[in-house]
Amino acid sequence: MKGGFRICPTTALRVHRQADGLIKANAVAATVLLLVGGITGLLVLLTRWQAVHLLDAVMFYRVLTIHGMSMLIFFIIFFEMAILYFAGPVLLNSRVPAPKLGWSMFWLMVLGAVMVEWTMWTGRADVLFTSYVPLKAHPLFYLGVILFAVGTLITVAVFFGSLVVAKREKTYEGSVPLVTYGAITAAIIAVITLVHGAAIYIPTFLWSIGIGNVDPQVYRMVWWGLGHSSQQINVAAMVAVWYLLGALTVGSVVINEKISRTAFVLYILFISMASAHHLLVDPGMGPTWKVVNTSYFMYMAVLASMIHGFTVPAGIEVGQRVRGLTKGMFEWLRRAPWGDPGFSALVFSVIIFGFVGGITGVTFGTEQINIIAHNTLRIPGHFHATVVAGTALAFMGVTYYVIPLIFRKKVAFWPLAKIQPYLFAFGMLIFSVAMTFAGTFGIPRRHWDMTFSDALFDVQFSPAVNLVVTVMALGGLIAALGGAIYILVTVWSVFLGQPMEGDATYVDARSS
Amino acid sequence: MSMHGVPNGIVNPPRPLTDADEEAAQEKAGGFGMAPGTMVMALVFLAVFAVYYFTNWKLLSVVWQVG
Repeated sequence: MKGGFRICPTTALRVHRQADGLIKANAVAATVLLLVGGITGLLVLLTRWQAVHLLDAVMFYRVLTIHGMSMLIFFIIFFEMAILYFAGPVLLNSRVPAPKLGWSMFWLMVLGAVMVEWTMWTGRADVLFTSYVPLKAHPLFYLGVILFAVGTLITVAVFFGSLVVAKREKTYEGSVPLVTYGAITAAIIAVITLVHGAAIYIPTFLWSIGIGNVDPQVYRMVWWGLGHSSQQINVAAMVAVWYLLGALTVGSVVINEKISRTAFVLYILFISMASAHHLLVDPGMGPTWKVVNTSYFMYMAVLASMIHGFTVPAGIEVGQRVRGLTKGMFEWLRRAPWGDPGFSALVFSVIIFGFVGGITGVTFGTEQINIIAHNTLRIPGHFHATVVAGTALAFMGVTYYVIPLIFRKKVAFWPLAKIQPYLFAFGMLIFSVAMTFAGTFGIPRRHWDMTFSDALFDVQFSPAVNLVVTVMALGGLIAALGGAIYILVTVWSVFLGQPMEGDATYVDARSS
Repeated sequence: MSMHGVPNGIVNPPRPLTDADEEAAQEKAGGFGMAPGTMVMALVFLAVFAVYYFTNWKLLSVVWQVG
């Protein structure tokens, strides 16, 4: 397997050929899955928009399952694997310790994803993202998830191996960079997450082939250790990307390394307990268990997000001020590089994640309030603000740097790339806020028909919900346009883009 | 100015900071510290959070009336 390093002409980092390749492969896989998830998301939107109501009930639930799995598991985790290869070997000037294993696990993840996609597209797994027992999917659905999880877990092990190799070969001095520290946090949470996944998907797979049984309440409890914690890998990876983008775009400073690192540790210690907020209305858990997990432990993880939500913009502000932008309260922000899609994506990601996703999420974590929000559109309103407008937008922003730095290509359709974060953020903001309002009126989530036509009972909502849902749909369409531009720009840049100037020759480590 | 197709942070990377820069920044820090704009935004965030949180309690009291 070919090795060697190239020197990045921009960052002066030594980039291992295998790290380059694995970042590219994972990023391309992530983009393909984003396309799948995006198209299905659009179909879900056009069905939930009652004026259009595009799909029939069976297709709606099928497409909603595909949307959830493709976005929340496959797109995000492939992208996170790319981040691990960047934050480990690249940022530490190191090599990938076991490239063959890395590639094998990449292909195992692809195989798992393809198996799951096949079962979903062919109607063998209309069980939604959560696949709650006793809904039963085809055994290959569960097996595909298990293979994907195994591939991810071993890729995480390769990342940890790269840290050991970098330390042993003295490729960096002092502590690991904060971005790498954030990636380590994401990797540790990934291990916790995937252990939960194995603990629940293996018995569920056996149950699907007729061996044993799975208790629905136990399933829900353990599954959310996977389902919610997997989104916390996102949060840790997203925060790491925030610090990275701040440094790349405006030279932000880390105002206090110890505080930022302590906040990452808080994620590791407490964020898994936040999964309990999915079970706040479940009858199987006692109030003490619910309150301790969601009103004590969860707030420690929230504290971590609030610390990062302060230190990232504060680092940008201090960085700008020490470079001379000191007039008034906000000259540092006014004169920031708003035409740089990496910067605009960073700012919108921080704001929407914090103001919409964060505030709504903390509020749902209160047991009493959860009663009026649970299973309404307020829940997807919250997580579209965190996972989509927060994480996915941050990942989009960093892509505009990955294309020139790793793929060594110029970003195609540059004017479109510059407006893409604006469109996506604006659309997602409208979408998630309108979704939250619709949920406040009691509109259920995961429901094909909010008019409950042909139902045995009559449900009447305020007529205002038609307006709110229409606004939600318009926001979603704007965001979908932003997502489509992102895919167009990235795919064109990577496969048909103009190469960057500068030497990108790989040189063997011994001669470099 | 950014080169077409390459982000500003690559074409025109931020000037590296020196110890003198940071000392000068600390000297200029006012009552809100070195990042007064961020402090203001954090206070706005807390205000929005408080309003949203207590609105939800109000909503709960309307939806689930006692007595």
